[in-house]
Order: sequence, then C-alpha cells, then structure tokens
Amino acid sequence: MVMRKWCVLGIFFLALMGSCSKAKLDRINTDPTKLTESNYDPNSLLAQAQLKYANLGYYQLLYQSTMMQLLASTYYYYNNGDKYINVGSFTDYQGRIFDEGYKDASSIREMQRLARLKDPVAYKNLIAIGDIMFVLVLQRITDTYGDVPYKEAVKAMQGIKYPVYDRQEDIYNQMLNDLDAATAQLDTEKPGPTADLFYQGDVAKWKKFGYSLMLRVAMRLTKSDPEKARQWTEKVADKTFTDINDNAILLTDASSFNSQNGTSLALRTFSDYLEVRWSKTLIDQLRNTNDPRLSVIGEVPKDGLAKNADQNLNGNTDAAVQLGMPNGFDLQGGATDISHSPNYPGGTGSGSDFAPLGKYSRPRTAVYLKLGGPIFILSYAETEFLLAEAKVRGWNISGTAKQHYTNGLTGAIQSLAQLDPSATVDANKITAFVSQNPLDESNTQNALASINTQYWVATGTNFNFIEAWLNWKRSDYPKLIPINYKGNVTNGTIPRRMIYLSTEVLNNPQNYKDAVARIAGGDVLTARVWWDK
Amino acid sequence: MNFVQRIILLIGLIFPLCAHAQTKVTLNFNGANFEQVVEAIQQQTVYHFAYSESKIPKHQVSIKVEKEEAVKVIDQLLLNSGYTYSLLPNHLIVIRKNAGGMETDSVRFLKEVVITALGIEKDNDKVGYALTTIKGSSITKARESNLIMALQGRVAGLNITGVNGGPGSAARVLIRGVSSMTAASPLFVVNGVPIDNSIRGSANEYGGADYGDGISNINPDDIETITILKGSAASALYGARAANGVILINLKSGGENSKAKFEYNSNLAFDVPVNSTDFQYLYGQGAQNKRPADLYNAISTGLLSWGEMMDGKLTPQVDGSMRPYAPVKNNIQTFYRIAPAFTNTLSLVGGNTKNNYRVSVSNLDYNSILSNGALNRKTLNFYGTVALSPKISLSLTGNYIYEWNKNKSYLSDGPLNPNYGISALATSLDQSILAPGFDAETGFESRWNADEYKTNPYFLMNKQADHASRNRYISSAVLKYQLASWASVQGRIGYDSSWDELVSILPTGIAFSINRQGGINAYDQNSTSELNSDILFSATRNLSDKLNLELSMGANYRERKGNSEKIKGSQFKVPYLYTPENLITSTKTLAISRIVTESAYYTADLSYQHFLNFSVTGRYDIYSTLPANNRGIFVPGVSGSFIFSDLLKLKALNFGKLRLDFAKTSGEPIVPYTTQIYYTVDDQVNGTPVGGFSSDLPNYNLKPFTLNEIEAGLDLKFFNSRLDIDFTYFNRVTHNEIINAKQSVTTGFTSAYVNLGETRNAGIELALGYTPILTTTSKWQVNLNLTKVKNTLLSIDDNSNYTLTGTYRPLNANTALVVGKPITQVMAYDYLRDASGNMIIGSDGIPKRGNFIPMGGTMPTLYGGITNSFSYKQFSFSFLIDYRFGNKILSATEYYSYVLGLNKATLVGRETGIVADGVLENGQKNTINVPAYAYYPELATNISALAVLNGSFIKLRQATLGYTFNNNFLKRIPFCSIGIDLVGRNLFTLLKYSKNIDPESQFSPTLGYAGIEGASLPATRTFGVNFNFKFK
Repeated sequence: MVMRKWCVLGIFFLALMGSCSKAKLDRINTDPTKLTESNYDPNSLLAQAQLKYANLGYYQLLYQSTMMQLLASTYYYYNNGDKYINVGSFTDYQGRIFDEGYKDASSIREMQRLARLKDPVAYKNLIAIGDIMFVLVLQRITDTYGDVPYKEAVKAMQGIKYPVYDRQEDIYNQMLNDLDAATAQLDTEKPGPTADLFYQGDVAKWKKFGYSLMLRVAMRLTKSDPEKARQWTEKVADKTFTDINDNAILLTDASSFNSQNGTSLALRTFSDYLEVRWSKTLIDQLRNTNDPRLSVIGEVPKDGLAKNADQNLNGNTDAAVQLGMPNGFDLQGGATDISHSPNYPGGTGSGSDFAPLGKYSRPRTAVYLKLGGPIFILSYAETEFLLAEAKVRGWNISGTAKQHYTNGLTGAIQSLAQLDPSATVDANKITAFVSQNPLDESNTQNALASINTQYWVATGTNFNFIEAWLNWKRSDYPKLIPINYKGNVTNGTIPRRMIYLSTEVLNNPQNYKDAVARIAGGDVLTARVWWDK
Repeated sequence: MNFVQRIILLIGLIFPLCAHAQTKVTLNFNGANFEQVVEAIQQQTVYHFAYSESKIPKHQVSIKVEKEEAVKVIDQLLLNSGYTYSLLPNHLIVIRKNAGGMETDSVRFLKEVVITALGIEKDNDKVGYALTTIKGSSITKARESNLIMALQGRVAGLNITGVNGGPGSAARVLIRGVSSMTAASPLFVVNGVPIDNSIRGSANEYGGADYGDGISNINPDDIETITILKGSAASALYGARAANGVILINLKSGGENSKAKFEYNSNLAFDVPVNSTDFQYLYGQGAQNKRPADLYNAISTGLLSWGEMMDGKLTPQVDGSMRPYAPVKNNIQTFYRIAPAFTNTLSLVGGNTKNNYRVSVSNLDYNSILSNGALNRKTLNFYGTVALSPKISLSLTGNYIYEWNKNKSYLSDGPLNPNYGISALATSLDQSILAPGFDAETGFESRWNADEYKTNPYFLMNKQADHASRNRYISSAVLKYQLASWASVQGRIGYDSSWDELVSILPTGIAFSINRQGGINAYDQNSTSELNSDILFSATRNLSDKLNLELSMGANYRERKGNSEKIKGSQFKVPYLYTPENLITSTKTLAISRIVTESAYYTADLSYQHFLNFSVTGRYDIYSTLPANNRGIFVPGVSGSFIFSDLLKLKALNFGKLRLDFAKTSGEPIVPYTTQIYYTVDDQVNGTPVGGFSSDLPNYNLKPFTLNEIEAGLDLKFFNSRLDIDFTYFNRVTHNEIINAKQSVTTGFTSAYVNLGETRNAGIELALGYTPILTTTSKWQVNLNLTKVKNTLLSIDDNSNYTLTGTYRPLNANTALVVGKPITQVMAYDYLRDASGNMIIGSDGIPKRGNFIPMGGTMPTLYGGITNSFSYKQFSFSFLIDYRFGNKILSATEYYSYVLGLNKATLVGRETGIVADGVLENGQKNTINVPAYAYYPELATNISALAVLNGSFIKLRQATLGYTFNNNFLKRIPFCSIGIDLVGRNLFTLLKYSKNIDPESQFSPTLGYAGIEGASLPATRTFGVNFNFKFK
C-alpha cells in the first residue's frame, strides 16, 4: 500500500517536471529571433559599418561644421564649435568619432572573421574591402585624436581587453601597408560584396577607392614626413579616381526609420532649422570669386519666423541676396548678440513673428536636408586637389598642377548635382568659372592656399565637415580668423584635436594615461596630433 | 550571579516596568468577532495568543464583563464552540480545535507558527534564522500606490527607495545591503508561488518614464501578512532568485465555519507637492548680466537666471507680454496640483467545516500631481479551499489585476519631461505664462527656451498621449494529500501572466520632432509569464520522546517566458492620427526570451526537547541560461537554534534564543542568451540589408555564482514580553559573480560577461520592541529597528578596478563599481591642487579639474526607523520616524543650478566678476577676472564634485490617528466594527543636507542609477482618511 503511494507520487513528479534534456535546454537558451554564425551572411555587416561610419549627424555638426566656419549658429547646441566653449551636456560629442569608429571597426573585423570561417576564397574581395574600410575608419579616428589603438584594436575575441594606444606615426605606416596589401588583393574576376552601400559591389571602383584613400593617407604626412608622403603619393598617383562617377557616396533612405540622413534629421530640428546658417566666411569666399555655387547651395528664407520655420517653403536662391552669418554670436541680448554683429542686416517679420536671422542664407533644404540624402565619403575633387598639391611640391606624378586643380574644381562643382539635381550648375558656367580662376602658381604658398581653400569649399559644400577640418589642420588653409568668445576654453584658437572618449579613462586606464602623457599639452582641444606639426 | 543574570538585571534597571502584571479585563462587545475580543484581551493584559486566523471560532460574540480574569472570559467564550485553549508558560494562550481533528493540526497549534520558504510553516521558536513578519492591516491605512513603499523604515535590514515618477512607480528594494554587483529585487512569493517583479521600463540619464514594477499591482487589502526572509539560510530553498532575499506575501484566506461576512474599506488621500529647492531669488531671467530686451531674448533665456538684479520693472516675457521683473517663488506649488487618491475594497469571507472562500474587489484611482496623469487599478481576488475527501484538499487562488496608467511622466534630462522645465525655470518667470503651450492655429509647441528638447510643460499637459495598461492574472492551485497522520504530499502549480501595452506618442506639433510632425516613441505589446510547478513531500516523526524530525523534500520546474513586439516611428502623415499606419517611417522589433530552471531540494529539521534545533537544507539547480557543461549546482545550508530560556528559567527572561546558521545560494545570469554571439538584420537602406551583432562579448564558460552567508542572532523577551530584542549579525560574500562588465570600445565589444566578481556585506540588525505603558485602557508601544551594513566590492575580475554603472546627463561624473569601496560609488572630479594645496586655475580663469575620485557610496550604511503607537480606549495614534545615513547623491539639479544661475552660491561675484582664489599653472597668483555667468557653468562642468551631495536624512514618514466605535454605538447598526483613521505620509523632513532636492529623489529603480537624481516629480506629502467597516 505504502509502496503504491510512492509510485503514484513518482509518476506525478516526473510528469510535473517534464524534465529537460541537455539538447532541449540548449535550444531554450538560443534566441529564436536572431541568427548565429552558422547561418549568417557576413556581407550585411559591411553595410552596417558603412552606414554608421557615414551617417554621423550631430557628431560632425556640433564641432567641425562651425569650427571650420562653413556653418554658423547662434544656437547654444553649436557653441562648442562656433565659439569653442564647453556646453555642459554636449562635450561628450567630442568622443563620438572614437566611440562610433571602433564600433564600425568591430563590425568590419567580425565580418572578416565570419567570411574567413565560411569560405576565405569566395569572400576574398569582401575580406580585402574590410581591410580598406578598416583604414578608412581608423584614419578618421587617429586624425581626430592622435595616438589610438590600431594593432591591438577590436581583438576582444583574441583576449585583448586593454588595447595599447599605438603612436600615430606607427599607425600611418601600418595603414599604408595594409591598404597596399588589401588593394592588391582585390580581384575583379571574383564576386564583389553583396551589401555594399558605397559601390554596390563594383570591385573595380573599390580598387580606385583603395588607391585614392592611400593618396589621402599619404598626403596627411606632408608636414611630419614629407618624404614618405612623396613615396606613397608617387606610387598611387595614376590609380586614383578618374571622374565624379568614382565618388564614394552613401545614399541614405528616407523610408527607413534607422537609416535616414542624420545630418538632415539634426538640421530639421526646430531651433537648428531656425538658427543654423551658412557661415559668412564661406559665403564671402564664394562671392569674392564669383563662384557659381553661390546660387545653388544657399537660400534666404521667406520673411517672418513662421515662414522661416516652415520646412516646405523654399527660400530665395538668387546669388545676389545670399548672405553668410558671422560665427561667434548668440541671441541672448548681451554684447555678443547677433544684432551687435558688424553689418547686421536686421531680421524679417515683426512682433512675435520676428526672425532675427531671417536675412542670412541657410543650406538649401531641398539640397542638403533630404532625409534620404547622400553622404560624401571620398571624392574625385579631393583626390585631384591632393594631386595638384603633390605636383606643386614638385613630386614625380603625371599631369600638371594646373590640370589637377582644374579637375578638382570642376569635379567639386559638378558633384553638387549628386546631392540633388536642383543643385546642378550649368556646364558652361563651370567652364567659365574654372577658366577665370586658374591655379595661382606665383609661388608655392599661393598655390597651396588656392588648392586647400578649394578643398575646404569642396568638402564644406558636400557637407563633409570632418574632412574639411582634417585637411585644414594639415594644410593650414584657408586662413580662418578664430572667434574669441567669453568663456572659451581654447584661448581663442580653433580646436585642433578632440578629447578622447571619456570612458577610456575607466575602461582602458593605463593605455589611456600612457597616450595622454605623450601629448604635448595633455588631452585637450588645443593639443596637436603627430602629423599636425 | 552569573553573567547572563547580570545583563538581565542591568536591562531590568534600564527599563523600569509598571510591575503589576495585568490579568483582568474589562470588555463590552455586542456581535463582535472572536478576533476582536482576543485583541482586546491582549491589549489589556499580559497574555498573548497563538492561533491561526482561519482556525478560530467564527460565531459572533456578545460579552460584557468588568475587571474579570481573562482566562475565565476565554473559558466562557469557548464553551461549546468546538475549540479549546491551553495556557502555556509566559502567559501564552494557545487556541486550537477540539481533539478529534488530525494530530498534526493540534501539534501545530501549540506553536507560534510562521511561514517560511516554500510555504512551509514552522514553529517560530525554533527557527534558526532572521525573519520579520508584518501584518497586512498595518499598511492599509496610510497607503502608497506601490504597497512595498509602505514598508519603508519598518523592517531591520530592508532598504526601500521609490522613484519620483507619479503613482504606481517602481521601487528599489534591497535586503541586507547590496548582495551582489547586479543585485536586483528580492524574490516575491505570493501564497507560495513566485511572481514576476520585473520593471516595465525606467528612466535613464537621457530621459524616459517609469512604468512600475510587478509588486505594485498587489492590493494591500488582500494581504494577511508579509514575511521578509533576510538571510540565505531563510531563503536557500528558493535558489538563485533568492540571492537578493525573499518577501513572502500571504493573502487573506477564507473563513472556516463562518456565515458570509462583508468588509468594506475606503481610503481617500491627497498628494500635496513639496518644493524642496532653496534657489536664489535676487537676480532674474537673462543672460550675460542682461535682462531680456525682446521676445527673442526672453525665449532664449527661459531657463537662464543670469540677468539683472530684480527690480519689478516691466520686462518682455516668453509669450510676448510684459511683466514685472520680480521673483516667482511658487512655481512648483502652482504648476502641480493637489492630487486625490481614492481606493475602495469590498470583500466577502465565509465557509463551513469543509469549504471556505474569500472574494474581494477593489478599485484604486490615484491621480498624479501632474494634472494630466492618473493611475487606475482594479483587482479581483479569489481564494477557495475544498476538502475533496477527509484526506485530500484543494486550494485555488486567483488574482486578476487591471491597470491603466494615464500619461506617465517622463523623468530625467530628456524631452517630454515637464518637471525639468518647471524645476529650472528662470527665477522671474511665472510658469502660468507657458500655458497653453501650443499655438491655437497651428498646434505647434510654443517656444519658451533655447532648447526644444526641454518640452514646454503645458504642451505636455494638454497634448501628451502616453498610456500604459496591464492585464495580469496570478493564479495557483494546490492539491494536498494527507498520506498518513505524519506525512503529506502536495502538488502546486502557480502561473503569473501579464499582458502589457504601452503607447507613447510624440504629439503632432512637438518642437523637437522632424518638421514638428511628431511620431511614436513606443507602441509596445509585451507578455510575460512565469510558471512554477512543484511537488513537496512532508513528514514529521517523533524519533524518540525527546527527538522530533520534520522532513520536506520537493522539486520545482520553473519556466519564464517573455514576448515583446515594439513599434517606433516618426512623422505622422496626417496630423493628430496617432497610429503606426499613419507614420512615414517606422520600425518593428520582436523579442522572445525563455528561461527554464529545474530544481530539487530538501529540508530536514531535528529538534531535541523543543530547546535545541538543527536544520539542514540542500538544493540542486539546473539553469538553462548557462552553458551545458556548467549548468548544475548544489548548494547546502545548515542552521541551529538554542532556546536557552528553557534551561535557565529566569524570572525576567521569558524567552531567549540563540541562532546560528550558514548557507550557500547560487545564481545565474539575469538574462538568457549570453553564451554566444547573435547576428541580426536590423534595417535596410534602399533595399540593402544592414546587419548587426550584439556588442556583449559572450562567455562560453559561464558558471553559476554563489553566495555564502553566516548569520548569528539572539532573540530575547523580557518582563512578560514587554521588552523584546532581536539582534542579528550577518556576513555574506558572493563568489564568481556574473556581471556584464563594461570594457573599452576599442576591444570591439563594449561589455563582456565575466564570472569573477566578489562582494561582501557584513552588518548588524537590531529590532527592539518595548511597551512602557500597559493598562486596561491605554498602551504605548515603541518599536525601533536599526541596520548597520558595510558593503565592500572585493573584486571585479582579474585586473579591473572599476566599472561604470550609471551616469547623469552632464556626463562629468558617474556611479561605478570600485574595488575596495561600497556598491555603488559616486565618482567625480575634484579640484586640481598644487603641492601646497592651492587650487590651480586655468588660463580661462576657471579652477582646473583634478583627479576623478570616489566620493562615497550611494547606499546608506546606517538606516532604520522608530514607530511609536499609543492607544487609549477607542483612540489610537502612531507615528513612524525613519532615517538613513552615510549615502551620497549625484545631483543633476545641483549641477544645473550652477549652470543656470539658480544656486545661491552663484550670487557671489554677479556684479564684480570672480577672481578664483588660486594659482596659475606657472605658480603665480591668479588675477583673471571671469564674469559670474561664464564662471559658474564652467566651474560646475570642471568640478563635478560640486554636484555630489550628502543624502542622509531623518523624516517623519507616517502618522495615523484612529478611532474605533464602541459596541454600544454599533448595537444599533449592522456593523460589528467601524474604524476611522486620519493618516499622513512623508510629512516632514526633519534633517537633510541637500539644499535643493529631496534626498530621496530618484528617477530610476535600478541599481546602476542608485543615488542619481535629476528632474523627476517633486516629493509629495500625503494626507488622507481611511474608513473600515466590518458587517455583522
């Protein structure tokens, strides 16, 4: 009797538990909504790295756009770049290129790891493109901060928890070698990447991109190691982009919630839309040279605050009325209020409809603020300007400085059409402008000034503000007049580097400290990276 | 005289007593229930009673005696009732059913029974570990919208902090310090069945709202008792989830042998906003020492108080009007409302000898002090027991909860938070001019400051659409089979399932959205279920006439499932139509989580002659969340108690027990799927898939973590139990903690699961009860509890000394886990000083930032409360003072008060500018003069230590004044009892060090954000009245 009770109990017990096997528990602990490495196509990680690398939004607006006097703003969000003061909550944007960059680098390395695991031959091009992407990402990081992890970067899987910060000089050597090897690996006979937002899998274009990037990497060394710059420039000079169809452009997607153009989203925010304008420095440059771009990049909003705010209302694009806003002003009613700026044109509208910045040109909404608008990564104009400079420096490459300069200038103006057809400049106007503005070769400095000023205009009008800043640091052109606003943290000088990501102090303390110890002046905005002598 | 006697004599001298021991009572009841009579006797005499509430006579009692011996009264009451009583030593009267019932019953009723782990009832005398039981009735008068908040300050070892997020917000509950680096909520067990207490969304430094936790759903009127199992030995039988302690909630059960009886409870309370700030009101709105000159200036300085000395002259305002430039000090009182809360519960209890039941319905309408917010909660509770045969009984419980939380307020430093704007308004700006917050014609949000991410508070009051609803069903079925008089087996299934819906809209017209077209922040549907099925075999045997063995063994299968579907999107095509279909872009994500734990366990209790008890427990768990090779773990526990008063037989000492125990508990990762990398396709760009993968580095060798605890305690009762002392020492160390440690982004993964941490919590708990006055008509009782705990993080992993946990929006300070320091630690930048201690001033004239250093822990090291209860005839009065010491707050409000010119400290140098007292980097004395408006914002940004405040406080937490109608009055009406109580909660802060905030203010219940404050709802005082009617 007692035994029977125990049996009943036992059966009940087993039924209750439905005890799980090892395999069943493994299955329970596998996320059914995601894929594992065995069934995942590494290609889509390339698109991830490209999109995140390109789509920076506020990360490039808050500092570089206004620091470079391409844009200007009275809005306090932009005070970091416009006036070099620390706006409390936004200083973390200084670390975002670092933060985002290593995440992109991680996507690339993970993509390569999966590709090698699955089929290193079939994925040969994808793996090589990964190496090129890695340099693209890391160059922007090192150019912004200086010494950063390269050799030991993104190797958590190999057990590296505290990557060493490499010296920038070593990083540059490594980047050039890596690019060289990767570009050589590219094989147009083998399949290209299937999720490629730059070139839609065109391996031949990637080859040109690899060499063009190599040219940019090499040319960054003109101040610190001109000999190395020369060697590598001469090596790649004939293999770079040949026209604007080679431009590396990423097209964002207005219909996709996570992939809309970040810069457009930021600038369409109410205050940004009302208070971000083209800088006086840029507009004056275009006006003084009769540049035909003046009539396609800017618009003066219709009168009054309400119409200023209406994003569906086009402004006046007539070159004659375009007016840039000076950097370094605000709307707070004090000495630096925009109304106290020299030649303040007054606002538009009146009473509660008064728009104090109503007469300044803003980037044309239809051209620059498309939610599915393009993002420029690397352009023909940039490479041609760099080649022009190489020639001016007397290096042994084909063509003349004048020709490369002309190509650059033409390419820069033509590529506005790639932003939006409405920004197309008539071919005759381009030819006329280019012929009226030949390269000033009267002396080397003048030539360098012309080339790099045009580089600044080209990257600025392409909304590639970070590259505008980096080349300005390298070339020291154009000569910008810094702002000296009360409370600025740079002694009235334009920042030349960004401060490391703050969490590095905690998460990689020793290597961070070692790197900071090597920077003259410390981890501050006014210090310089190695190549920026 | 031995040592113990001396101590007792000493205590006797400290607590002089009204020496005469009362045994006589004066009673006058007509149609009262038995329990009321017992309570009256207990109050008037030295006697105390042991009985089970469901197992006492149910007949109505009418009795009138004057100074009669209590035992005679009880004799009379129990005459022919089917019940009997025994008078035991120490004036303990035990009431039990007449012999004839099962033997186990009568054995059990000889004890003061407490409910322990797995619902096993134990003799309180013998229990070898610390537990505290709170009566449900003590939290129903002065209420909180989250019932757990009502336990604040009442229980030694328990540390509860609520979120200032409106009614129904979540609470952080910690038992005995911070048990581990990932310490979360204790396990809540309702009627023996574990329930879900997950947090349904909380704020972080970038904003967000608090959508409450699981425990807040329970209606306090349904609760019979709450038992807090503090130590590992107490909770060892629950395994991993008990790592943070266990709180057992025992719901009210049916009435045996009772005719159907109704009880009705009604509670009306009002929340009154409290202004905790002490800002400067000398200088008004403006920037750069200038008041606004026009509308545009007024708008761009809406949150800046860097203007001129206020002089009352007409000045442009953000709405275009002109108003006097004068201080406005009452913005908090005028913006927020006095919010009513109304709760009604009706219950019905009844039963016969075989079957009994209880049913209750309740409705809560709790309004937020924000005029657009409210919480409605309806609960339906059922309990029933059926004796299917003399040996088989079936109990069923069902608890249905419906919640509707309208416009949950956003908190912290992000958009949609009305509190930010009100708390930071310029000193001369009247909040009322922000109304209605939108343009009547276009519907666009009205501009009122320079930053549209600080949403206009009135725009939100008028346009916000943010609703959280929950349907939840907690049920259990228990089938018990009495195998023999000494053995039983029980099968139990508990199922807790919730369906949550969250709709959070960015309304059309909101300034920060694209083209002011709004969007959907969240359109979420979540379901969570927790299934526990277990079986428990229990036996008790007298091994000899002095040795008794009680044995329980069982097994449990637990399965937790979660499903969530989330939609987000931007830009409504057609204004004001807030549906996902009306969005220009949207994204949808699906998440499924599943966790299974299989366990088997036993507990064996051996007792020798009542006074010596020894108990062993063991549990084996298999966790699905761990890799196959590391899934199982066994954890043992032992405890013992020695009732030395049985041997000593001292006159003054009624009861004395020494407890000692050791136990081990194991734990698993709190989330599934951490043992491999997962890949996704997150999105697409013009048809190209954009992939992604998790940034948590998986760990293929994760194993369960363990927690070892030693506890020793002493229970003493003196002088006819008028003084009782409960003292506990505990020391608990965790090993191999599983944490998701942050790591450098340069490694490619931002965090990694590691299995190496160690944490120690050591401390003491003291609970002291004393009854200074006890007469037939009056009683004064004092209960004091105190906890002193030292928490230390021993290690994180091989080489980390630091890992970040939470931060605040200024991002120049954070909280962190720091080796050698308590969890969590506030880290901030101090001043940079030279060798002789001078501040070093930068070339900009601002003191330079020094080292980033630990500033102190966010958890109190000393906390507790004192309750005083008085009763005189039909009046009762009690108040609770609670306190907390030794914790730090990282305050965003304080930081912004410097940046925005609100802090009184910013008055220095307004007219003259500031020359900071220090030396330049070259060693020369600083002479740089910086205007105040540039100095203070930069100072607070550089020196984040300025935002670190002392969080200690003493508060008058609660006061109640009650009146119970006498029987003469009740004779004429159909009630056997009516009670009216006036109640107040969070009445006064008696001590605080934080000038501009309430020291308890929090925006998140999670451990990572503990001690971080900023832009939540203001603190409130609650005043109310509670009516309780028991029908005849």
